[in-house]
Amino acid sequence: MTGRDRAARVHFGVLAGLALILFGFAAWLEPSFIAPATQRDLSLHAFELALLALPMTCIIVSGGIDLSVGSICALAAVVMGLLHEAGAPIWAACIAAIGAGAVTGALNGAFIAALRVHPLIVTLATMAAFRGLAEGLSRARPISGFPPEFTRLGEGYSLGLPIPILALAIISLAAGLALSRTSWGCWMYAIGSNERGARYAGLPVDRIKIALYACSGTAAALAGIVFAARRNTAKADIGSGLELEVITAVVLGGTSIFGGRGSIAGTLLGVLIIHETRELVSWHWHHDELILLVTGTILVASVLLNNLASRRAD
Amino acid sequence: MRTPPANGPDSPGIPPLALRRMLAASRRQFVTAAVLLFTLVAVSIANPAFLSGQNLRDLLVQSAPVVIVGCGMTLVILIGEIDISVGSLLGLLAALMGVLASPQRLGLPIPLVIAGVLVAGAAIGLLNGLLVTRGRVPSIIATLGMLTVLRGVTELVMGGEWITNLPPSLRWFGTGSSLGFPFSLWVAAAVAMAIFALARFAPLGIRILAIGGNPDAAAIARISVPRTKLLVFALVGLLTGVAAVIAVPQQSVIESGIGAGFELVVVTAVVVGGTSIRGGYGGVVGTILAALLLGSIRTTLVFLDLGESAVYWERAIQGAFILVAVLADHLASRPGPDDSLAGARA
Amino acid sequence: MKLASRLALAAAVALAACNLALAQTSPATPPPSKKTVICLLPKKKGLPYFTTCAKGAEEAARELGNVELIYDGPTDGSPEKAASMVDRWTLRGVDVIAVSPNDPQVLGQAMKKAREKGIHVITWDADAAPEAREFMVNQATAKDIGYALVDAMAKDIGGEQPEGEVAIITATLTAANQNEWMRFMNERLAKYPKLSLVATKPSNEDQRLAFQIAQDLMKAHPRLKGIFGISSVAFPGAAEAVKQAGKSGSVLVTGLATPNDMKSYVHDGTVKSVVLWNTIDLGYLTVQTGAALASGKLKPGQTTLDAGRLGTKQIEKDQVLLGDILVFTKDNIDKFDF
Repeated sequence: MTGRDRAARVHFGVLAGLALILFGFAAWLEPSFIAPATQRDLSLHAFELALLALPMTCIIVSGGIDLSVGSICALAAVVMGLLHEAGAPIWAACIAAIGAGAVTGALNGAFIAALRVHPLIVTLATMAAFRGLAEGLSRARPISGFPPEFTRLGEGYSLGLPIPILALAIISLAAGLALSRTSWGCWMYAIGSNERGARYAGLPVDRIKIALYACSGTAAALAGIVFAARRNTAKADIGSGLELEVITAVVLGGTSIFGGRGSIAGTLLGVLIIHETRELVSWHWHHDELILLVTGTILVASVLLNNLASRRAD
Repeated sequence: MRTPPANGPDSPGIPPLALRRMLAASRRQFVTAAVLLFTLVAVSIANPAFLSGQNLRDLLVQSAPVVIVGCGMTLVILIGEIDISVGSLLGLLAALMGVLASPQRLGLPIPLVIAGVLVAGAAIGLLNGLLVTRGRVPSIIATLGMLTVLRGVTELVMGGEWITNLPPSLRWFGTGSSLGFPFSLWVAAAVAMAIFALARFAPLGIRILAIGGNPDAAAIARISVPRTKLLVFALVGLLTGVAAVIAVPQQSVIESGIGAGFELVVVTAVVVGGTSIRGGYGGVVGTILAALLLGSIRTTLVFLDLGESAVYWERAIQGAFILVAVLADHLASRPGPDDSLAGARA
Repeated sequence: MKLASRLALAAAVALAACNLALAQTSPATPPPSKKTVICLLPKKKGLPYFTTCAKGAEEAARELGNVELIYDGPTDGSPEKAASMVDRWTLRGVDVIAVSPNDPQVLGQAMKKAREKGIHVITWDADAAPEAREFMVNQATAKDIGYALVDAMAKDIGGEQPEGEVAIITATLTAANQNEWMRFMNERLAKYPKLSLVATKPSNEDQRLAFQIAQDLMKAHPRLKGIFGISSVAFPGAAEAVKQAGKSGSVLVTGLATPNDMKSYVHDGTVKSVVLWNTIDLGYLTVQTGAALASGKLKPGQTTLDAGRLGTKQIEKDQVLLGDILVFTKDNIDKFDF
């Protein structure tokens, strides 16, 4: 275990170093990019990515994966929009949408836990099904015209910071504590390291899994709602391709794709690096193609470097 | 790093279990075949035009690239890995083909173009394999990275312009026929038979199954795990090259978005076809049946003509269909030797 | 940790090298001179349609001399990524942002914020809500496009009362522009009572899928007379399907595309008309409009604009008019090269 801890620390160190260099490089290249006001406004672009990365970290730590999060974003936003259009009060519509996210997530969890189908397969299928549901319900049209007290949720400021980012900070803290300080968090690592062992030890494995995927669905619904608030539009194509970005951030943050290892702090660092790279590349070079090139390279290189480093360290 | 998969009380390699696995696998293929048959019959009754020779032929031609890459993907998944970079690789190879063949760009002779595409495909497959074996990067991460990198490279290579004037001799690979059947069907059939034979009878196929079933046991049995994996990754790259050669010249325009989402179709075909996502058992026959099934769903929806608003539900219907196919498959083959644990080897 | 710092150093060197390599090919950061920075946002980067627009825009920037042009957009056509780019340019404090909104709703919010910061925002190619921008460089409204497509099809089918079944292959079901065009296409189809629309299918921006759907449509609807391919990859995909089925001339295909991509189909009779406008001029006029707005030469209420080599262009209210829609046929398509 100490070898593993050490490898994790090395990886965290590499990432932190990378983030520092990135900021230093950006400061040298584009001083205005580093300005706090700029960074504060740009941070909104990372909200969905960061919010979804939190439950995804827990899921991957427990040995699963969830490809359906982008589709649940769209489904929840559409549910919220349709209810608001039908005359429901906006906050009631939001609660219903979050409920829809929790239910769809729990459905994923139920297929995975009760029917024992591999999470990759279940969520690959529900990824298509949930987006299809969103498209069918909304007839693929954009839903707009939300009241200002709702759109403030997506772009308003409080205590000098964007509201979504404040919420994100609180949720991250809660997720970090849950994973590292509670027995539930401990069980997730146990399931991810050795599921059979966890079952023999009497852990409620199935219940934990259903709860985890329900959390993931809830977070996705929240992300969809905040997106709808920020752009004042709910639509069935929200969050397309988001699932792969989220997984990239989580893995970049040092969570093992095979389960059993990972941390919220690492994930947040992974999100930070991806977000800042994306913003800086677009800010300075204006080449959208480059973002793909750079983020893919960072992902593979970070794991590769980490492996080389831990091999040397052994 | 990798936790050895828990295979239950019996360990692989003992004949009864091998037999049981084979039976389980064929039972799943039977389910897929039955669903496919049912779909075809039901739609044919609703709209007899569905059963025309031309339609069945188009259906087969449409599925050819999925079948070809799916055969390679089956081997990758059998060995306990995954390759999700094939969609972007197809796009990059299409761009490469255009740059090599177009008279306005390099204008090389056709045999050189084909060879270039195949070699490039195999080389990138090999690179994936090296990242996985030498670099010890989990395959889902290595190929996820490649998925984005290769798409970016394709965009840069194309530079915002499309390639439209492909020489007719190259177009033949996508549109021509020989002996009464489209050329692409011959290629797909040849690939399917070759991979089937390879998986079933060749030593390589046995090595793949052994590694997928239990890599540690395979290593003890003196099977070179890294070399076999390298070979399989290179093979799927090569087959993506083959798919590019028959699929890309079928269209008149080479654009930068070719192959987007192709990886999901291929992986879906393999898992619907009953190959275990954690490796060790499954087969090419199921993949081929599933590829045809997935290809026919969309066509089916056109022929059923469900009315004006049905178009908005098509994606939901397709998704539900895949979900039902996967779940039915798992229920039909329970208790399988594999799914007692929903473990972590993505 | 020593190793970690060494790795970090290596990463820094790599990034710096990357920067050097790119510095030569990309426009560098604007020096603090008086250059006007104009950002041109396409719906989807990588499409020849927008690449040719960018060529015209570069031409205008060169002619004007004091303009720095930034051309960037999402390669996957995602409205969310496009909106993020507008946000970034707003924070950078550029002078003019010219947007071709892939989704007017999603981009509208970002554009309004840019205007609040005092940046000139115009739309080109497609429009957004009037309060989100100052002017629109208008090559054709959604109504013009929808009507022109249906009229072209009616003319191609021929006869006093053109008759037959037609189908539409669109980009994605959520594509805002295409949905707007289809609304007006349906409106115009009322003028031709014997043309009946039998299917509208999405092709998900995939040429191969458009090809397969066109194949399916021809078999499922044997009396099909025409297919509209209303995205830039749906059009060639559908035309190729008709050609390979040996139905060139009996099933007609029309749509929007740059002439170079469709020449071969026009010559072999699969496609009789291609609807478009001069895209190079569109990009050129957009930059001219942006520069005039930034320098104060163009103000609300004006009725004409001096647009360089295009001469004087009319302005109707807040619409800078490029001119008529072009219909490319066998007779004139070889005169155009873009």
